[in-house]
Amino acid sequence: MSEKKISNTFGKQSRREFLASTTAGVAAAASAAAMASMPGTALAAPKRGGTLRFATRVDGRGLDPHRNIIYYVSNPLAATTQGLLDLNTKMEIVPGIGSEWTISDDLMTYTFKIREGVEFHNGRTVDAEAVKWNYERIMDPKTSHAFTRSSLKEVDTITVLDKYTLRIRLKGPSAVFLANVVYYPCNLIAPDSADQADTHPIGCGPFKFVSWKRYAKTEMVRFENYFETDSLGNQLPYLDAIEGYPKKEDKVRLTALRTGEVDLIENMAYSDVGAFKKNNSDKYNTWDIPQVGCAYLAVQSKIGPFAMDHPNGKLMRQALAHAIDREAIHQAVFNGLSESVAGFYSTSSPWHMPGIKNVKEYDPEKSKFILRKLNAMGTPIAVVARDTYEYMHNSGELVHSMLLDAGFKATNGKFDNPVLRQKYKKSDYGIDSTANSYRFEPDGWYSRNVLSTAPSTKLRTGYKNERADKLIIEARATRDFQKRLELYTEVESEVNEDCALIYTHAVPLTSAGTKNLKGYQPAFAGPFNIAGGGIRTAYFDK
Amino acid sequence: MCLGGAYNMLIYTINRILQIIPVIFILSVLVFGFVHALPGDVIDTMAGVEAGEDPEVRAALEEEFGLNKPIYVQYFIWIGKAMQGDFGNSLVTRRPVNTELIERIPATMYLALVGITLSVLIAVPLGTLAAVRRNSPTDYAAQVTSLAGISIPEFWFAILCILLFSLHLAWLPSSGYVEFFDDPGKSIWYLILPALAVGFRQAAFTTRLTRSSMLDEISKEYVDTARSLGLPERKVIYKYTLRNALIPTITISGLQLANLLGGTVVLESIFAWPGIGQAIFQSIQLRDFPVIQAGVLVLGVMVVVINLLVDLLYRVLNPRVGMG
Amino acid sequence: MIDQQLQSRQRVDTVSADDTALTIRIRRIRTVSKNALDELLKSRTATMGAIMIILLLAVCFLTPVVATHNPTKPNYRERLAPVSAEHYFGTDKFGRDIYSRVLYGGQRTVFVAIAAVALGLALGIPLGVFSGYFGGRFDAVSMRFVDGFIAFPGLLLYLLIITLAREWKLEGIWNDLILIFALGLNTMPEIARMTRGTTLIEVRREYVEAAHVVGEGSLFIAMREILPNCVSPLIVNATVRLGYVILIIAALSFLGLGTPPPTPDWGGDLSAARDHMESHPMIAIFPGLAICYSVLAFNLFGDGLRDILDPRIAER
Repeated sequence: MSEKKISNTFGKQSRREFLASTTAGVAAAASAAAMASMPGTALAAPKRGGTLRFATRVDGRGLDPHRNIIYYVSNPLAATTQGLLDLNTKMEIVPGIGSEWTISDDLMTYTFKIREGVEFHNGRTVDAEAVKWNYERIMDPKTSHAFTRSSLKEVDTITVLDKYTLRIRLKGPSAVFLANVVYYPCNLIAPDSADQADTHPIGCGPFKFVSWKRYAKTEMVRFENYFETDSLGNQLPYLDAIEGYPKKEDKVRLTALRTGEVDLIENMAYSDVGAFKKNNSDKYNTWDIPQVGCAYLAVQSKIGPFAMDHPNGKLMRQALAHAIDREAIHQAVFNGLSESVAGFYSTSSPWHMPGIKNVKEYDPEKSKFILRKLNAMGTPIAVVARDTYEYMHNSGELVHSMLLDAGFKATNGKFDNPVLRQKYKKSDYGIDSTANSYRFEPDGWYSRNVLSTAPSTKLRTGYKNERADKLIIEARATRDFQKRLELYTEVESEVNEDCALIYTHAVPLTSAGTKNLKGYQPAFAGPFNIAGGGIRTAYFDK
Repeated sequence: MCLGGAYNMLIYTINRILQIIPVIFILSVLVFGFVHALPGDVIDTMAGVEAGEDPEVRAALEEEFGLNKPIYVQYFIWIGKAMQGDFGNSLVTRRPVNTELIERIPATMYLALVGITLSVLIAVPLGTLAAVRRNSPTDYAAQVTSLAGISIPEFWFAILCILLFSLHLAWLPSSGYVEFFDDPGKSIWYLILPALAVGFRQAAFTTRLTRSSMLDEISKEYVDTARSLGLPERKVIYKYTLRNALIPTITISGLQLANLLGGTVVLESIFAWPGIGQAIFQSIQLRDFPVIQAGVLVLGVMVVVINLLVDLLYRVLNPRVGMG
Repeated sequence: MIDQQLQSRQRVDTVSADDTALTIRIRRIRTVSKNALDELLKSRTATMGAIMIILLLAVCFLTPVVATHNPTKPNYRERLAPVSAEHYFGTDKFGRDIYSRVLYGGQRTVFVAIAAVALGLALGIPLGVFSGYFGGRFDAVSMRFVDGFIAFPGLLLYLLIITLAREWKLEGIWNDLILIFALGLNTMPEIARMTRGTTLIEVRREYVEAAHVVGEGSLFIAMREILPNCVSPLIVNATVRLGYVILIIAALSFLGLGTPPPTPDWGGDLSAARDHMESHPMIAIFPGLAICYSVLAFNLFGDGLRDILDPRIAER
């Protein structure tokens, strides 16, 4: 009893703190607005209790959030942990466990104030020491995944100033570092639980881990001491438990929702979305989730006729770009649900850039003209795609036929990930039909896949553009949003001219849930463990 | 069976068990060889591409999983530990392979056993009836159904079943798995559709087999003798003929069971059934060597043992077969 | 040189001089072939199966003539079109003509199936005959290998072999060869065991001993004397196996290990149609029925053949 009481008092306190901190930043104010405008939460009083059954396309591959990429969109485990800072429904960075922060003028020092009274699921306090331990574990190659580690690669030193204050010193100026301390990839686990991270992780998210039966079921229960509260001061989350069910087949997942076996599904097949919305809008809610990133074609520009240093390489890549009919992919693969893009970000993203130039329009005659002029008709090119995502290899299939039409001698293949990686390594492919939904922070995309020195760029495309490199590095050290947008617009125009990356479509993913599931609003790009929304404010109205 | 027969049987059994050892050895070499020849870099898969480029990370991971030793040394270390029941850790989840697989085997066995039982329950009456009423509409109906069952691709049939029974009629849940001991009723409820998909196809084979072995038995002399002695037809058919005719049916069902252990991959994937077939298939795609090796080996041993039991059972039921 | 020639001549002479073995063999073969057609026509099942197979093969041969469209040419403007005079079976999600895809897919599927079973026979028969004939250590070792393959559960061997070959640079027909190899290798154990079983029985027959007496070489006896007598169960098994192999190809396509698109493939097309099965059931029906039809044809024919060739049942 007494424990319960304490946690309630704590909840109110933290709420006050939370509101206090929201007045500070512009971004945070937006979060409060988003919370107030949340359908359901503001109108009807949310009810506590209930178990959410959530069917996802894939299952997790492991439990340790440092060693595995626990992708925040389609893995229920995402509800068990979170980062130092939070995201809101608009994917803006807002206070979470870290209640305030200051950034030094030279963009080299970040100081975080940690909310007092936040606990890990085993009762240990989340303090500066715990965060430091987590970041050091992530920075150790032996205990972390390369992707997770790469988000902290700018970190020079981490200092605990006092129990609730942490200072991070970077190796170089960065205006974007905050994006690395939110959920995905840098999550927090209890420091005294490292040896059980692979079997029973102890996080600090709104739900506690109970069990994971691979390919079958993930069980989580409500964390009774979670720090966040709703606008009335009620402690979040409302739900008692979450059960995650991996169901690989799109049709089966949808059927499970329609027959009442689950309450929420993600990633509906494109062929089902239209009819489902039309026929079932009275029984189900749907959320169209435009991904932050997009589908694109990566041209192997390391060696061969399309290479960066080949005298005709650029023209040849442009010939490829002119052969691509985005409309055909839009219709045949995405069932008319996608959006053709000129850059990495679609119109639904805050990072959308209207001024991008040099998009190569569909003009197969131009491709043929270039090939004829260079005496390169019948140049062989291997179209490859990953086999796990249908839209990727379906797009590849169409690109293959488009390239044949334009006069290339194209071949087509789909491969599993390990084989594809070998092909990247050996430069043994021509054009890769792929997609990337990196995060909300553009630096994550540009400095990983466009910047010529990035390992991923070197491995896959071999893209090299000095001006783009300079712009990306400049943007990283620029605080002003508008200015950065302009810099990235320039980068995209360079990318479009060089055609080593050919952006094609913004890929939407549709989630659907039963009508009695209220208050669930995933962030615009899909994450559901978010401040003031998603799984934390979801409840059943029965 | 006389004493000599029992002795022969014992010798035969020992002999057969001894034969299993080289078979399992060969299987282990085959699977180890295949798995290590799979394309793709394990370290990259484990640590991410960027880390795979880092020699220090690579060395550490190779050390951790013993990948830096010569291949034959790796084999002997693996098989040595495997014989003690230790299959190491999954490269992907880092949990012990035993945990990963032991959770999976009951699900597959459950599906396979119920599927086979269902198929026998359908096939034996249907096959018998078809044989007894040869060339009647019942016979034709049974034959057409079983031919359809043999020729339809199982994943198509499964999806059609889901669309019909779950979506349109809303009779059965479409997918998922509930452990029997957690909730027997619900567990069986979720099992019906997948078991039907397994059973239908197997029943198609078994019906045809039962029918033809019944026809075979009915044409034998003792049946005529029994009839001429005035025994009731029902008794002749069900007491003598069916019992003999069921010997091949039981044998084939046993072999089908063995084959189903790794053969339900497709259905497991459709019905989101967390069986071992799906686990091995996904491990192949992830190059999770320890899980693939252990999975194939354990299933292989189960196949060999089931085949042996079926063989022995066949000889017990049918003493005329020599103990050669 | 001359000696050798003389010797071999002498050998031929002795063989032809002795008529026991030869005549028995010839008589047996002739009996089978002479009555085959009569018997075939007597069995309704076999006749129906044979007609269905002939039709299937005819369509496969005539595919380039009867197909109306390029099977790999997408056209999104005509996607998911219903059955019409232009597209007899409608179009798939990329707007490709399903009728033409079913035809070309059939050509490929049937070719792969036949080639795979042929490979299985080519590997399995010699292994079985030699094992049965020579016995001893060779038999023990080879049969344990065969058992090792049989112990590979279900689809897993296929999955491993095909995954193994995925990095190889394989295009067009070479891609099919891997499939053929995987399917053939898996057909081999059963064939080898069956052949060995028959050989063990045949070896004890008098005509084999007769051949021994007249001094025929072991290999010669094994291949020429014993083999023809293993033929009938093998034909039955191979025919039924053809149907089974077609289903395996479909299952592998479902798991994403079939021939990469856009090559038309029944299993691949059926599997690709599964998302549209509710809204456009027609696109799944034609490749699905094509699979059913051919599996059924091989099964019926195999059943009929069994009735004819298995004397026990034939007497009935």
